[in-house]
Amino acid sequence: MEATVKKPKKLKLKTARRDQYKRYTRSKAGNFFYTLFLLIMGLYSILPMFYTIITSFKPLDELLVFPPRFFVIRPTTSNYSVLPSLLDNLSVPLSKYIFNSLFVSIVTTILHVIVASMAAFVLSKTNIKFKGLIFAIVQFSLLYNAYTLEVPRYLIYSGLHMIDTYWIYILPNIPASMGVFLMKQFMDANVPDPLIEAARIDGASTVRTFWQIVMPVVKPAWLTLSLFEFVGMWTVTPTGTIFSENLKTLPYAASTIVAGGLTRQGAAMAVAVIMMIPPIIVYLVSQRSVTQTMSSSGIK
Amino acid sequence: MDATLKEPKKVKAPKKKRIRGIESKKSMYGRMFILPWCIGMLLFFIIPLFQSLIYSFSTVWVEPGLMETELSGLENYKFILNEDPNYTNNLWSAIQSFFRNMPIIIIVSLILAIVLNQKYPGRMIFRSVFFVPVIVATGVVMELLTKNLNGVDAIITLTTETENVYSEGTGGMDFTVVLQSLNFPEEITKTMSGLITNIFNTLWSCGIPIILFLAGLQTIPEQLYEASTVEGATKWEEFWYITLPMLSQTLLLVIIFTMIDLLTQNTNPVIQQAYTLMSAQSVYDQSAAMLWLFFGIIGLGVGIVIFLYTKILLKKWN
Repeated sequence: MEATVKKPKKLKLKTARRDQYKRYTRSKAGNFFYTLFLLIMGLYSILPMFYTIITSFKPLDELLVFPPRFFVIRPTTSNYSVLPSLLDNLSVPLSKYIFNSLFVSIVTTILHVIVASMAAFVLSKTNIKFKGLIFAIVQFSLLYNAYTLEVPRYLIYSGLHMIDTYWIYILPNIPASMGVFLMKQFMDANVPDPLIEAARIDGASTVRTFWQIVMPVVKPAWLTLSLFEFVGMWTVTPTGTIFSENLKTLPYAASTIVAGGLTRQGAAMAVAVIMMIPPIIVYLVSQRSVTQTMSSSGIK
Repeated sequence: MDATLKEPKKVKAPKKKRIRGIESKKSMYGRMFILPWCIGMLLFFIIPLFQSLIYSFSTVWVEPGLMETELSGLENYKFILNEDPNYTNNLWSAIQSFFRNMPIIIIVSLILAIVLNQKYPGRMIFRSVFFVPVIVATGVVMELLTKNLNGVDAIITLTTETENVYSEGTGGMDFTVVLQSLNFPEEITKTMSGLITNIFNTLWSCGIPIILFLAGLQTIPEQLYEASTVEGATKWEEFWYITLPMLSQTLLLVIIFTMIDLLTQNTNPVIQQAYTLMSAQSVYDQSAAMLWLFFGIIGLGVGIVIFLYTKILLKKWN
């Protein structure tokens, strides 16, 4: 601890320095490299996003400068205000696409998290027969890219009369196996069996055990899962299964704008920025809880 | 699968009558809980999967309104392996790039997760710096970021170039030259410089592993570290004897996730080839065979990894 008091001034975060020093290295050099590593990686990771945001505020003449400049000199919001008019020929207002995307993403995320957690609970904490087989199917199905199933799935969609409805977005994505896999792993690791036993002895029903004991304990896991699922659904673009303009989502509208070419570059960047906002909001909401410790699991 | 769902009733039934009330109620709840998922899985995964497996062993042609199939044995597989000029090359390059990226992603994301897991002011901002690009850079936005706009190279390349301009201005260095001057074998030089140019993709692939590692790290009780500090363990020992063993489940999860993520991306050459064949030329049988062979290999690989991991590493750590 004494050593932590005197620190090189080069490092950026004063307290970060102290904690890292305390926890991970006992040398100034190690400490320095940790911070440096973090800074360089962070910079590389975030740069393209900043570039997109900055570019979305560039007026046309600055967009066409070669070599491209990183910063904007005369910022303008015209790239945003021009968006609604760009979609005029599509007969549906921009807000409808945004609504569709939000609706589909939120509904699917909620349903997927509930269905996957329930299945994971059964697989993790009960002795249902064929448990092993079902979990083997879960793991096996993780391997499959959606392309493999596209054609046979289409036949099923049309058999269920799902073509050209909201269902096409929602239903096939609910039983995705990644959720079950993730939730089961976390329940195995973080929900001790004695906790379930105790709940049963106290007379809690299975439903109540699930909702009031298991789910709060694995909250970080399902919040993370909902983040993944939301992001996945937010960018979903069905091919050949949605024909009504009314039911199409924002990524579709975005790709129409992007296809506009050279002069639409600013608008394309503006749409990209709009596309970024909801995932970031979901991220902020979910990560706030994820960072809370999972130590409240009752037994430890 | 139907049988799977109904079977448990039979199992519970022969039990003695007096406990049947509670037990059967419980098992009923068990089945109710897993039922929605099973139905969905059956409809949207298992049936289509078998259908496509059948396609891969058949000749498929489309008649107006329906698809005709006729079993043809291993014909499709023989064709893609022996006669298709690109398939084996694509397969090979997919596997190579997998082996190049996998270890880097796991190691980098583990280090970043450990560093990010520290308690310091502004760590939310630091974490966000790594996650936000990952969660926003999917689908259309990713396309936009990499798309060839303005007749110039992709925006990512532009940013890299601007970066390089800055670093050259401040006496920065060209990594490839540095590596070559160090007399490493050519293969390593190539891999390293490939990694540096692909740094965005690599870093973005680290996002989800970092989240998983962080969630895992948060479950390690603080007392373990306190105890080891009292015992006089070094940080290095703490990492190998506490952090890593406690993360063993998470690590397996991350390894499997990364394998699958790397190999089933839509940009994968094998998947690209099969998809083009399927969507542009409506060749459903050969494309199904291509995908099935590829996924068979991945499945085998994942199986071997899980087996080795649970048999060797987990035993050692527990």
